[in-house]
Amino acid sequence: MRLSIDTGGTFTDLVVEDANGVFAVYKRPTTPLDPVLGILDVIGLAAEDRGMTSGELLGGAHTLIHATTHSLNALLTDTVAKTGLIVTTGHPDILRLREGGREHFNVRAPFPEPLIPRSLTFPVTERITSSGSVLVPLDEDRARSVARQLGDHEIEAVAVCLLWSIVNPAHELEVGVMLEEELPGVPFTLSHRLTPTLREYRRASATAIDASLKPLMGRYLMNLSARLREAGFAARLLMTTSSGALLDVDEVAAAPIHSIKSGPAMAPVAGRVFSEQELSNSSAIVTDAGGTSYDVSAVRRGSIPWTRETWLGTPYLSPLVGFPSVDVKSYGAGGGSIAWVDRGGLLHVGPKSAGADPGPAAYGRGGVSPTFTDAAVVLGYIDPDDFLGGKMKLDSNAAQEAVLSDVGARLGLDAADAAAAIVEVMTEQMANAIEDTALRQGVDPTAAVLVGGGGAAGLNAVGVAARVGCPHVLIPSISAALSAVGALMSDLGKDIVVTHPMKTSSFNFTIANEIVTELTARSRAFLEDMADGSSERGVDFYVEAHYAREVWEIDVPFEMPLAGPDDLDRLRRAFHARHDELYAVSDAGADLEIISWRARAWCRVHSGGIPETRRAQLVSDPSVRRTYFSGHGWLDTCVFPLEQLSGGREIWGPAIVTSPVTTTVVDPGAKLVLTRLGSLQISVPAQEMVDAVER
Amino acid sequence: MNRVGDGSIDGVRAAVLTSRFEGIVRSMANTLLRTARSGIINTAHDFSCCVLTTDPSLLAMAQSLPIHVMCGPDISAGVMVKYHPELRQGDAFLHNSPYEGNSHAADHAILVPVLDDAGVHRFTVYAKGHQADCGNALPTTYSAAARDVYEEGALIFPMVKVQNDYRDNEDIVRMCLARIRAPEQWWGDYLALVGAARIGERRLNELASEFGWDALDDYAHQWFAYSEGLMGDAISRLPVGRVTVDTRHDPFPGVPEGVPLRVHLRVAPDDQLIEIDLRDNPDCLPCGLNLTEATAKTASMIAVFNSLPEEVPHNGGSFRRIEVHLRENCAVGIPRHPASCSVATTGLANRVGAAVQRGIAELGDGIGMAETGAILNPALGVISGIDPRDGKAFVNQLLAVHAGGAASPVYDGWLTIGDHGAGGVVLLDSIEMDELQYPVVIHRREIDTDSEGAGRRCGAPGTVVEYGSLDCEMTVLYASDGSAFPAQGARGGMPGCLAWQEKVEVDGGLEQLPVFAEINILPGEVIRSRSSGGGGYGDPLTREVDAVTHDVREGRISPDKARDVYGVIFDRQGNADETATTALRKQQAVAPPEATP
Repeated sequence: MRLSIDTGGTFTDLVVEDANGVFAVYKRPTTPLDPVLGILDVIGLAAEDRGMTSGELLGGAHTLIHATTHSLNALLTDTVAKTGLIVTTGHPDILRLREGGREHFNVRAPFPEPLIPRSLTFPVTERITSSGSVLVPLDEDRARSVARQLGDHEIEAVAVCLLWSIVNPAHELEVGVMLEEELPGVPFTLSHRLTPTLREYRRASATAIDASLKPLMGRYLMNLSARLREAGFAARLLMTTSSGALLDVDEVAAAPIHSIKSGPAMAPVAGRVFSEQELSNSSAIVTDAGGTSYDVSAVRRGSIPWTRETWLGTPYLSPLVGFPSVDVKSYGAGGGSIAWVDRGGLLHVGPKSAGADPGPAAYGRGGVSPTFTDAAVVLGYIDPDDFLGGKMKLDSNAAQEAVLSDVGARLGLDAADAAAAIVEVMTEQMANAIEDTALRQGVDPTAAVLVGGGGAAGLNAVGVAARVGCPHVLIPSISAALSAVGALMSDLGKDIVVTHPMKTSSFNFTIANEIVTELTARSRAFLEDMADGSSERGVDFYVEAHYAREVWEIDVPFEMPLAGPDDLDRLRRAFHARHDELYAVSDAGADLEIISWRARAWCRVHSGGIPETRRAQLVSDPSVRRTYFSGHGWLDTCVFPLEQLSGGREIWGPAIVTSPVTTTVVDPGAKLVLTRLGSLQISVPAQEMVDAVER
Repeated sequence: MNRVGDGSIDGVRAAVLTSRFEGIVRSMANTLLRTARSGIINTAHDFSCCVLTTDPSLLAMAQSLPIHVMCGPDISAGVMVKYHPELRQGDAFLHNSPYEGNSHAADHAILVPVLDDAGVHRFTVYAKGHQADCGNALPTTYSAAARDVYEEGALIFPMVKVQNDYRDNEDIVRMCLARIRAPEQWWGDYLALVGAARIGERRLNELASEFGWDALDDYAHQWFAYSEGLMGDAISRLPVGRVTVDTRHDPFPGVPEGVPLRVHLRVAPDDQLIEIDLRDNPDCLPCGLNLTEATAKTASMIAVFNSLPEEVPHNGGSFRRIEVHLRENCAVGIPRHPASCSVATTGLANRVGAAVQRGIAELGDGIGMAETGAILNPALGVISGIDPRDGKAFVNQLLAVHAGGAASPVYDGWLTIGDHGAGGVVLLDSIEMDELQYPVVIHRREIDTDSEGAGRRCGAPGTVVEYGSLDCEMTVLYASDGSAFPAQGARGGMPGCLAWQEKVEVDGGLEQLPVFAEINILPGEVIRSRSSGGGGYGDPLTREVDAVTHDVREGRISPDKARDVYGVIFDRQGNADETATTALRKQQAVAPPEATP
């Protein structure tokens, strides 16, 4: 048995994979002050459901995989450790100057404060050049006195980022030794070890984030581990990482920056498996729709694209993370997004959100602004008496009133049309979010599956798919816990990078092979440590390269050997193809500049298939209610409880499928099929396209 | 709540189509950004993408360099129709003429007319990027000393048809390859610009096939009316008034006294109009500083939007509420051939924009802005030479520093503003990337203490940069404004710091450098410069004590300056002494000490 626990902002999800490979999903509220409480709570819930004690459930698990927003929250709320920064002399403002940039015409925001203040930034005298040669030797006395000063400031962690340490780490290593001697027990991060990436701001930012998380995440993971063991867990504890893989919990404690996207990075991992195995399509757009956010990621021909440009918060107004991760972008669009009409008469949805408290007007907790959820109630998509499996009763009059007064009256629309307008604008925003990701990653939405995860995905997924041209929507059987399931479908994995700029016009096969040999050795060492002998494993190689004078690198996989001109040509051709796929242009005559070389060592720890999902035992009958669709008006619509559906049967929209955690709206003309494995597959109607043209 | 505008807007349809147009221009920008070859586009973001109606008015723009885009694309789209009344699908035009709507010659714009199936011109898509080189006589795209366009030497393309049936006119391509330095960079950037425009064209066609061309026209009409309404409403709540503001550009070759400028400004809330008159200014100058019609207007318009206390959409509709009066043959007006406008996006544009927003600030607290610093010191110079690592020639503009941003009534100045016309959009070079690509070593890049423009809100400080070559001789060409006349503060705020530049010789000797020079750097020599800072807004004695304390703790302001200028006194632990501070502030409010800019 394996367990996967995803601590999100609102809910802590647990997925149990039993010995027969059957999945079951459990949810409990997250407990931000002590997240381990929420974890133990959801374990208790699952144990009770399965007629055992928590100890028996935990004792029977041979692996527990954990994802958490704990580190990201600490960064966003500035509750990380007091961290010092050591930099090359002359460059104390790396974190403050950043790389420039601002949203155009946005004069109404303060310039962001740096991750580590200048008062805790300490230059040391040293300088290495781009070739790795030492221009100024490290002033050891100065460095040692800096280490002591850090002690005087009662620093809890230290980040070290020296220029060009990525090609010659000698000075960073020396500083590291001094920190160990002068500040024993104080954790530190050396930039070249964490992420040997070019561009000092990004590397310094990643190093600062990592160091500042070490005390907190070290404590958190030790605490988690101890309390799980106390509760009966005695097996392997893994964490999911921002790069969409799994690592032993000790590795994450040693480099906690891996955890900041640990949950969201798993959504495309799950999305890939469902899209490939259920619809035989290796390209997908994966969305995860929650109460306050809409996360979008992509699967491109079986691979999950990366990004080096992740902002901690708002682009340009927060730090760049500077550490590569799965490209998952979070947009402020969700069930709680508030609809409003500005003084010029234009309808907006968001960016303000009613959140969970007071929440939508329909929650009856004092919210008076109309939200996306309220619109769905007005349109009959959400049954006010059967929300979250009937656990919460919604006030449909309040929803109606809010939609009418704040939107309808101001636009001259009745409640239904106003609600439909809110859904339309929301759909447009979600479609835009998808197009951005598709464009950035060179994924053609018209050849991809739209995988809808999260409780709010099904409300307008058909509309979103029609808008971006995805022919099929797939709502996986476990859509409400997409990330937690993704963790169970993920490999152990680690990326090892060597930075060594080299142009293909002056390619040095000897050096290239030395680099590959080093990458291979380090990959093997990781696999020896991590993997048990029986599992399938491998090492994939990539270069990060650009055309000479381009400055943004793209990842291109390459195969060994790299022995002669033919092999280099193969690599070059792969680059051109990749460039063309991403940007619709390539330049066969141009020189390539390889910046760094990367190996991904991986080891499979899952079966590779989609397990069955345990179906709820509660059975209710199909019913009919009135729902409203733009262009169609009010229609009698069949409402099917998910557990009532049988495999293979086609259902034509309008229809609604409900489960205790999700509502899926099948628009008029769309066709729904329950897949063999219990997911909902919806074919987006051609009619929807025709309607759009008629509009 | 009363609705503003003409009430014609369909608030749902317009919301959807606005988002769709934004998606289109974003996809154009993404293509351009990711495929351009020269750092000035792909790392520095010196580019713009937009969609224009046939009136022509600016309808939608992507994240763009402000000075490129508010006015200029519209004039250019008109020029396209004037010279090419018979437009066909597959046409593309290369345009960079400073006399007919472009910003300056180094900005190459590609215009593509979008036609419906009946051949009717519906929209124009526009993509523009600053080129690494544009064929100037000297290896710089900012030829400040050029007496005229001949001496400047840029290749001028007055709306030249560069594609027919979606195919390049190879003659023009060869001309460029023969006359532009680093021709492969230009070629890559050209492909990127055309690619961006074609993406825009394709996606507009898709949008029209979904909604119909007429619906898109209706939308454009509504969107302009809506935006004009919001702009008028914002202006109607400003104080009424007229102001005349004087300012001055530093002395440069051809203008030994500097360039005195005068801006007349009228804010008319009842007419919902802001009028800017730039006609009371010198004739075109015998140097490259002359503005173009596009940049003279845009610099003023940026300042107006900066000055409003609220956000208003930027498009042809809201622009109707701003009138900028220019005259022909004026240094800050409509240039007459063969005046050189090589530096038209920065030098005088920064000064004009700065004067406009400071003028608006003088009309009332809470509006306007102080002045932003000026640019193009040696850390933004063009470096060239032979790279000893591969024996090849290199030439490139460094973007290793920004001027400091002006303080607003609410916020301290944006630290990395670029300059007035860049509005913070441009990126700052990564030191490691510069050193990888060129044989340079950037020894220092550090914010200068006490260089802020003091105020209730502070103008952003100056940054000191030191760099030299790595094992080779190197030429540096620059034209630095802001060394003689600082960016002024507003409403009692103090001026920003001045720029300066000097050379540190191998033996440590210092040589002061002029504001404009082409200098040779030997191995071991270092060019040291400071960028100019932004002016402050409001009396520094009213800056919150906590903010001053933070500034001092962070080393941005010295305790001495905190005492002398902000009236804040600290105890030994570095905490503000409240009683002493209150007393000192009271005393200084009566008799302010001598300021040291």
